[in-house]
Amino acid sequence: MAERKLIAHAGHPRAALDTEAVREAYRRWAGVYDSVFGGVSGAGRRRAVAAVNRLPGRRVLEVGVGTGLALPLYDPRKRVVGIDLSRDMLAKARDRVQQEKLRNVEGLVEMDAEAMAFADGSFDIAVAMFTATVVPDARRLFREMRRVVRPGGELLFVNHFAAEGGLRWWAERTLAPLSRVLGWHPDFALGDLLDDPRQAAEIEPCQPFGLFTLVRVPNLAFA
Amino acid sequence: MSDMPKPAAPGGEVDPSLLEILVCPVTKGTLRYDRARGELVSDAARLAYPIRDGIPIMLPDEARRLDDPAP
Repeated sequence: MAERKLIAHAGHPRAALDTEAVREAYRRWAGVYDSVFGGVSGAGRRRAVAAVNRLPGRRVLEVGVGTGLALPLYDPRKRVVGIDLSRDMLAKARDRVQQEKLRNVEGLVEMDAEAMAFADGSFDIAVAMFTATVVPDARRLFREMRRVVRPGGELLFVNHFAAEGGLRWWAERTLAPLSRVLGWHPDFALGDLLDDPRQAAEIEPCQPFGLFTLVRVPNLAFA
Repeated sequence: MSDMPKPAAPGGEVDPSLLEILVCPVTKGTLRYDRARGELVSDAARLAYPIRDGIPIMLPDEARRLDDPAP
């Protein structure tokens, strides 16, 4: 393995998650991910894909496709490309596509969501489920998603966005230094993703308990 | 199924419409598909991105440098 590439985050309030740490965490998670995480995140995933299916446009990018839990939920008329940084997760997603004969999945690609290998405007819709909290720099992720989606397309995010105060806020702040071990940032807030949270067109909590939030952002042409 | 199937690509098959939208993650420039080697080649970045089991690996750290001597 080449030397570890640490990404510098000047003034970043949290412990930086470097690419290798994210990969290593998900290598550990790959075997048990579906049983541990599949259940609790299921409602958020179904809600997000239902929103994708309602939107016009066929070309869909799923950022952080993981083991492909969401892939069977897409409308057969959509053409879905999934990306992830974890080779172990992608191998499971590929097996799922083959076993379930998901013909609407155009391909799976290993890439860095902060430096994507897609041409500008390649997609009508990009959706990131439980991903914005695990990348080292969510705003770079957001900029890349804006670039690869055509102007007038849509960006969708499902995430656990941090509460701004109270007991949950305290718990999340306390957990934040563990992000390298967990593989995600427990204290992620909407402001970490969007320069201006008013860019969001829709923000809706998802069951159970409003633990996850679906955020839709229209990809407006740059002014 | 065509009458004359092409020999299997070593990296596995990649959907042609996916190949159309893939670019080099470094230069964002076009790629050349080397089907025989199972690689996506960025001539501008002098990098060849491998395809393994039908999954293109678009990471500069994992790419073969074109200027390195052949292994």
